[in-house]
Amino acid sequence: MPLTSQPIDTSIYTTITAAIRSEASRLFTAGEVVAIIGYAAARRVGSAQPIIITNAADAEKLIFTHACVNNLAVYLTKAKKEIPKTGKIGVVVKGCDLKALVGLMGESQLKREDLYLIGIPCNGVLGSTVQPATALTTESIASKCCDCNSHLPTGCDFVPNVALPPGLQMESRYSVEIARLEALTPAERWAYWKEQFAKCIKCYACRQVCPFCFCEQCLCDRNKPQMVDTTPRPAGNTAWHIVRAMHLAGRCAGCAECERVCPMDIPLNLLNRKMAKELKELYDYEAGFEVNDKGPLTMFTEKDDQSFIK
Amino acid sequence: MQKYISEQNLNTLIDTLIAAGTRVVAPRMSAGIPLYEPLENSAEMIIDQLPRRSAKEAFFPVCEEIMSYEKEGQQVKINDVDPSRFPETVLVGVRPCDAAAIPVLDAVFSWDYKDEFFLERRRKTTIIGLACTAADDACFCTAVGLSPAETRGSDLFLTPLNGGGYACQSYSEKGEALITTNSNLFSELNNAAPLPLAAPQADKIDLKKVKSWLDGHFEDPLWDGIAVRCVGCGACAFVCPACHCFDIVDEGTEKAGKRRKSWDACGFWKFTHHASGHNPRDLQPKRYRNRIMHKFKYYDDKFGQTLCTGCGRCVRICPVGIDIAAIVEEISNKEIS
Amino acid sequence: MCDTTNTNIYLPYLTTVAEVIDETPDVRTLRLVFQDEQIRNTFSFRAGQFAEYSAFGAGEATFCIASSPTRRGYIECSFRSVGRVTEELRRLEVGDSMGFRGPYGNSYPIEEFYGKNMVFVAGGIALPPLRTLIWNCLDLRDKFGDITIVYGARAEADLVYKRELQEWQERADVRLVKTVDPGGNGPEWDGKVGFVPTILEETAPSAENTIALVCGPPIMIKFTLPVLEKLGFSDEQVYTTLENRMKCGLGKCGRCNVGNVYVCKDGPVFTAKQIKAMPMEF
Repeated sequence: MPLTSQPIDTSIYTTITAAIRSEASRLFTAGEVVAIIGYAAARRVGSAQPIIITNAADAEKLIFTHACVNNLAVYLTKAKKEIPKTGKIGVVVKGCDLKALVGLMGESQLKREDLYLIGIPCNGVLGSTVQPATALTTESIASKCCDCNSHLPTGCDFVPNVALPPGLQMESRYSVEIARLEALTPAERWAYWKEQFAKCIKCYACRQVCPFCFCEQCLCDRNKPQMVDTTPRPAGNTAWHIVRAMHLAGRCAGCAECERVCPMDIPLNLLNRKMAKELKELYDYEAGFEVNDKGPLTMFTEKDDQSFIK
Repeated sequence: MQKYISEQNLNTLIDTLIAAGTRVVAPRMSAGIPLYEPLENSAEMIIDQLPRRSAKEAFFPVCEEIMSYEKEGQQVKINDVDPSRFPETVLVGVRPCDAAAIPVLDAVFSWDYKDEFFLERRRKTTIIGLACTAADDACFCTAVGLSPAETRGSDLFLTPLNGGGYACQSYSEKGEALITTNSNLFSELNNAAPLPLAAPQADKIDLKKVKSWLDGHFEDPLWDGIAVRCVGCGACAFVCPACHCFDIVDEGTEKAGKRRKSWDACGFWKFTHHASGHNPRDLQPKRYRNRIMHKFKYYDDKFGQTLCTGCGRCVRICPVGIDIAAIVEEISNKEIS
Repeated sequence: MCDTTNTNIYLPYLTTVAEVIDETPDVRTLRLVFQDEQIRNTFSFRAGQFAEYSAFGAGEATFCIASSPTRRGYIECSFRSVGRVTEELRRLEVGDSMGFRGPYGNSYPIEEFYGKNMVFVAGGIALPPLRTLIWNCLDLRDKFGDITIVYGARAEADLVYKRELQEWQERADVRLVKTVDPGGNGPEWDGKVGFVPTILEETAPSAENTIALVCGPPIMIKFTLPVLEKLGFSDEQVYTTLENRMKCGLGKCGRCNVGNVYVCKDGPVFTAKQIKAMPMEF
């Protein structure tokens, strides 16, 4: 992390807001979508929240700011089916969110033709919206944005025509932290995660916001048999977070919603990034760029690393 | 009784209590976040941040053992948990919104059957409240009739003074006793002015009006409107100082294990799901409605109290920005037919 | 009664399974005897109350007490194995230990029923909450007028308490009308064929000086209440019991509420009048 925090230019977000509104209005008027999932301003200064609009008049409610942190893909997955599914749905997506949609299409959870993707040229969002009235700086920016490789989403139906300001060079916080943890002894690493998992209160916010946690019934909510202890204690907490990390390996594209929403600040995306790093090293695979039928952990090729067989 | 205590003497009080074997719980940093936790010494205490979870866990822990069992053939041996093992505790630096929630919780844990896990801790705990000098726009204690200087629930209440130290007012025998037994640390209050308290962040809401609207609107489009965003996690309930729903589960092996009581949340689909598959609150709007109804109507119907002290934690941490203060305000502005 | 002061309100009594009766392929009745002699001698409850039954290691499940308060020395519960706890309870054998926490909730105001005719209407697995009262009435037979029982299930095999149905059928002071849904009857079936509400209408018990007690799946209740109304029963004359997911049974854990009504404390017994005043959330 840089020693001094530098401001990040978010001036393009005003232009983007105007462009989203006019496109949304056009889409409803032309009858191209039945609903649009986007962001709207909320009561607290600077805050934004997900909104689902179903008519042109409400297009004016849409905004894009650096407080538009949510990955709206979560509203399209099976477990959250209260969203109208009677026609084409417009979704406002940042580059990182798009990766989740790509993954979900690969897993046959979504069809591209059912969606109208409104892509956002993004210069970064806040890491935490606990205090939404925070300016975007190299310090307040989300960790996922520090090494973003998808400022400009590709393959969308509409992307506001704005030029991204030159990005600031930021150190990858996850790489630094992963390197730090990798340098620890297993006992030290265990101690670190034990302390982090001890904070877990099993609110399952991480699971509920994750676009990939679309299981109709989570393993942790089943009790015949009870695979994972339900109480927020070391055994059940650790089991849950390991189950989560493993289940997302090769699928998680790093929207980091789990980490953002954790009320106890458990660095959940760190686990996901470590998994992603392993996948990259073992299979040269990176989630979220292509609609793959199968990720590396669901198929076998002869080139696969066999070194675990001893 | 009103006295003065310097910051240094407050620290001495904490260290003296700890040395004497009293459990002192106060806001401290725990793996990167502020939580109300037992202190090892006064230096650990931080008072400038609202802990991430409320003070309710000093009485109603996230998870606790309520009994254990051992099986031997056809026989089972049950081991009780003796509430008298709970230590004498002093809670220091409790925010007014957190302290005010404790007497609210007394109602549910003491009506009819007495939950000694809560009540014994309650008897053994002295609460030292602390006036708030800072607030953010998620805070709404003033909307629900409390304030940054609210003393409800506190045995002793500290008000920071200009020039350092605190005015210390006792509100109960327990508070009085703490001053008396440590009288050397307290002195007469001089005429130093209190530090300016946090400015009110929200206008007072007419909770009676909110309740009367809720009385007649179990079915209302409002619920769908709010809950369409809700992702069904339990974060709001778990950080809430007044939410008190819990689960009871057995954890262990065939041979031995423990029965535990742990926090639960009405936002979870599983909360009301029958084993048969039937679920009376099968959709998120019904679950979110229950949250609002329980806080602003049902608890009032039963105990004459509101199950919200305006701490703003749920507003700050809701993953999808659901803002209970805005919802209650919206309800208060509705026409009552 | 559980002591309500200075004790661990979550602590169960230990009981021993004294008898296991298979009612249907998936419904089982357990007869339980308190292990502590003093409790065995002093334990009492009222018809309609429920309890938390534990299979240690799996947890607790909520059911009514299915035996009659007039039969001292034991209690019985009947349950279908559908969840983790009930599956575990099903594995218990005679002599095994089981936990019992209760009795909880309100009860049928049986004293108010003295001198009245009683009509029991039950469907499927929902007979246990009425069976406690049926036997209570039968054991105090001269305090009641006519006793009519209309009980139905999907098929013959799904009827619970078959031995008792036989006994009631043979008694001159009880009118038992048993039925199975169309298609649920075998060649030997000596009862009616038809849905419970239809058969109730056909049976046409007089509403005069009568109390009706209804228990069954929501769909049965839904169609039975209008029939009772048609027969002249007022909502104050009709009683039912609700069941909701519960954990504590003590008015604390917060999940069994229907609106501001806590099923565990204000119920489980309600009049149709009370039910109609509740929001539709059960």
